[in-house]
Amino acid sequence: MEMIINTVRKIDNDQAKEHIFGDEKTLKENVALAWINPENLKLINLKSNSNIKISSQFGSVVLRVLEDESIPTGMINIPVSIWANQLTGIENDQLIYKNLKANVEPSNDPVLDFKDLILKIKPN
Amino acid sequence: MDRVTCTGCSLLCDDIIIRTDGLFIDEIIGACLKGKERFEQISAKNRIMDPLIRKNGELEKVSWDDALEKVLTIIKTSSKPILYGFSNSSCEAQLKGIKLAKKIDGFIDSNSTICQGKVLNISRDTGMTLTTMSEIINNVDTLILWGLNAAESIPRLLNKTLFTRGKFRMTGREIKTLIIIDPVKSVSFGVMGPRDLALFIEPNKDLELIKILKDECCSSNGIPSGGGAGLDETDIKRMLQHLQGAENAVILVGQGILTTQGNESPLKELLELIDLINLQQKKGRISLVMVGGHYNMAGFDHVALSETGKNQSLQFLNNKLINSNDSIVSKINNEDFDYTIIVGTDPISHLPYQLSSKLASKPIILIDNRKSGISQLADVVLPTAITGIECGGLAFRLDQVPIELKKIINPPNNLPSDEELLDQIIEKINKK
Repeated sequence: MEMIINTVRKIDNDQAKEHIFGDEKTLKENVALAWINPENLKLINLKSNSNIKISSQFGSVVLRVLEDESIPTGMINIPVSIWANQLTGIENDQLIYKNLKANVEPSNDPVLDFKDLILKIKPN
Repeated sequence: MDRVTCTGCSLLCDDIIIRTDGLFIDEIIGACLKGKERFEQISAKNRIMDPLIRKNGELEKVSWDDALEKVLTIIKTSSKPILYGFSNSSCEAQLKGIKLAKKIDGFIDSNSTICQGKVLNISRDTGMTLTTMSEIINNVDTLILWGLNAAESIPRLLNKTLFTRGKFRMTGREIKTLIIIDPVKSVSFGVMGPRDLALFIEPNKDLELIKILKDECCSSNGIPSGGGAGLDETDIKRMLQHLQGAENAVILVGQGILTTQGNESPLKELLELIDLINLQQKKGRISLVMVGGHYNMAGFDHVALSETGKNQSLQFLNNKLINSNDSIVSKINNEDFDYTIIVGTDPISHLPYQLSSKLASKPIILIDNRKSGISQLADVVLPTAITGIECGGLAFRLDQVPIELKKIINPPNNLPSDEELLDQIIEKINKK
């Protein structure tokens, strides 16, 4: 299903906060998330806490999905983080982190760990 | 008990009470969650206490001499550095950063360049009516949050501006109108009352709304009967009435409106709209506040402008600033660098993978007080004191007002401030 991604800053879902107080497990639990309207969740036949694969023109990532009625239909909100950055990109030397078109589908793949994403950035 | 300034965000709240014996902070009163986080960083588990060098893929504790020698080797064996970050450092450290960039023919930029600095760049053509926090607290009757979830990004902003009475009137929240323009019903909407206006705009339609408002200001028939930008005609009319009728309105702009829509900038149109209404206004005015996140994001623009005449994206060659159209994004994306010096920021958390992977392909020198994504990729990590707690300095609040930050306690292990460390690096280069 085609949707629009917005990366957002949330006080309880913050990568820097998890680096300070949490560990890699809580970082993944609290930040590798996507909020979506319950209507959209129904359309892709999924429940809260399932995994979804989101693909934009810049890349793709698997995230745990949570339903949130405050999100308009057709939109996904993702906390600004290393996970969200798999989907954001550059156009005309501008960072694109809002209103990105993306395809969303159910996924059986696991959400990657922080370490995996660091390794993706710089393989050993 | 001491009254101190919090460096948790760009609001720089100066009403935080702490109890300290000069060694530890025992109690913090009045800080929000972000502020408390900032104070708790002193003893956080990701705090970096010693210099580190990457050996066989792992960061290892080394002496300051060894770490600085490694930094010098990287600097001497390379020629195209990027210096980036600085929005979590004092103005004094930002100035040293610019001096270092000058010395090593570097390109220097702050986080502001991809955030609120964009507003400054656009305002070069249009001008901009700014205001101060005191003016907002005491005199503003209409607050507009445009693409800004203030309750989560600057948690005490609404407490200080919407719910305050002000020095010059006997009324407070009851005469203030809050307008929020956002596609998402963020937690900031939770403070809205009956006289407020919630505008759930369609994503990417800010430009359309601003153009409708501008047309209506000029011709009185600019609002289409079916509305626009996902909003109905009545709501758009109400918004314009509030803007035109306010004695003192302020528009607080967030990240949501910074990106271009189509090939046009909503910000430029917004600045023109403000100008247009202010010219037509008989009794009031509208001002704008750029809401950045990091506590001294505004500082770098001021320091760079006063030092070089340019507020961001400074490229030095042979000790001089040269003309360059490069930005931090184009420099990294075109791989036009051979090492980076990152100061007080984690680009891995806010830059796209496309840039992070290019950044990580070259040596990274990190100056910061905590471990983060970028510390996992850095070749050398130099720890520093936390500004506003373990060392003092100057910072510019989100309303562009300079605020002096005090040292409250001594840093652990006698860690240097960012300013002192950058100075040490410059001295080492001078000696070689």
